[in-house]
Amino acid sequence: VHLSSLDRLFWALAFFGHCILLGVLLLRHRAAAFPVFTTLISVNIVRTIVLFFTLRYGSKEEYFYTYWTLAFVDLALQLAIAYELATHVFQPLGAWAPDVRKSFTALAATSVALAVGLAWLAAPPSKTLRLAIVIRGELFASALMSELFVAMIALSVTLGLPWRTHVARIAQGLGLYCLYGIFSDAAHAFFPAGNIYRMLSESQIGFYLICLTYWSVTLAMAEPAPRKLPAELHEELRALQERAALVLRSLRTTASAS
Amino acid sequence: MRQIVFLFIVGAFVSTLIGIALYFIMRARRASKNAWRIMLGRLRQIDREKFAEVALDLLDDREEPHLEPDRIFEMIGGMNGLDALEENCDVLIDLATYVQRWYPDALQLSEELRLNAREIKWHIGRLRGASATGHLREQFPVYAQRAVATYYLMTRSLLVLYEGVKLPEFAELQQAL
Repeated sequence: VHLSSLDRLFWALAFFGHCILLGVLLLRHRAAAFPVFTTLISVNIVRTIVLFFTLRYGSKEEYFYTYWTLAFVDLALQLAIAYELATHVFQPLGAWAPDVRKSFTALAATSVALAVGLAWLAAPPSKTLRLAIVIRGELFASALMSELFVAMIALSVTLGLPWRTHVARIAQGLGLYCLYGIFSDAAHAFFPAGNIYRMLSESQIGFYLICLTYWSVTLAMAEPAPRKLPAELHEELRALQERAALVLRSLRTTASAS
Repeated sequence: MRQIVFLFIVGAFVSTLIGIALYFIMRARRASKNAWRIMLGRLRQIDREKFAEVALDLLDDREEPHLEPDRIFEMIGGMNGLDALEENCDVLIDLATYVQRWYPDALQLSEELRLNAREIKWHIGRLRGASATGHLREQFPVYAQRAVATYYLMTRSLLVLYEGVKLPEFAELQQAL
């Protein structure tokens, strides 16, 4: 694998960018709220170091397998982040509403089906099965993540659930990066070894560096503190809700008896 | 050829995703700008006093409700009244969601209103079925009075919330509900 000066620069910048972001997550105590996101950033630091030494001292085969094993870890963590952000948005009080969970699961299943369809359609003109799997795998990951973020936006707006500042910033960065990744990965399928793919791939890394900076700055800033409803108001609302529940229960009894 | 089709599909796929995201982001923005007035404007006209009377006939502590079935049908306005109630339930949820911008824990009320509304809608759906089979008059008072009572309690919850957090919109909401 030949690396250009730009590749080396990107590599170094991504490494330092991840280190700074990890520092922000730990020092500003964001890691407790976003453990999976923090894990992803830590894994990316380790990945950069491991790949650097594998490239320098290992064989082409070793580099390939190391790269793709770590890429699968990366994808698994990204999916876990989508779930982590969903729990922040859809269960701010600690529990999923039953129908919200159902809708989210249905949207996730649809997203997987669409991403599989898109990856299957790719049909890269590659001579090796390995490269074809790589191209399809990348496309699947980008498509799935983009769909999940769009689905989360749609569902949260429909339900009127607000996004806390830090959750929104992480999702914006990841969502846009994955959306851009679809173009880059599609170009990879179309021109497996072309300059166009290389250019798109480099601009995708550049875009990721912008995301890293964006996350470091926004996660370093404090979120506006939410106000709390007075305890007596909670009590009053609970009493009214209990009465409504009684009426609905009698309605249910009547319905099941008829 | 297949490659061209693929690129076309990718273009359409990404454009659709961007379109959906923008639509919902714009919707959320629009909702935050003129949210309250637009929401209130979506409330369908109902005879609030008669609805309250029907609800309190069930909710007040008494042995048996006083209102006759035919009178309940007339006071609610038949299925038209229930259609309006069904639509207003969605507005009540949005009005509760509005408070979440400043008080995220108002989510609990929005969630409860949403579940109540879902159940009311299910029962109104049953009444529509009864209407189609010619049994509306028999079933209407039992279902409709309870649906109206639940709706009435939902409106009270919302007023309690707005008053409790001292939102300036409270007076206008009180008039509308």
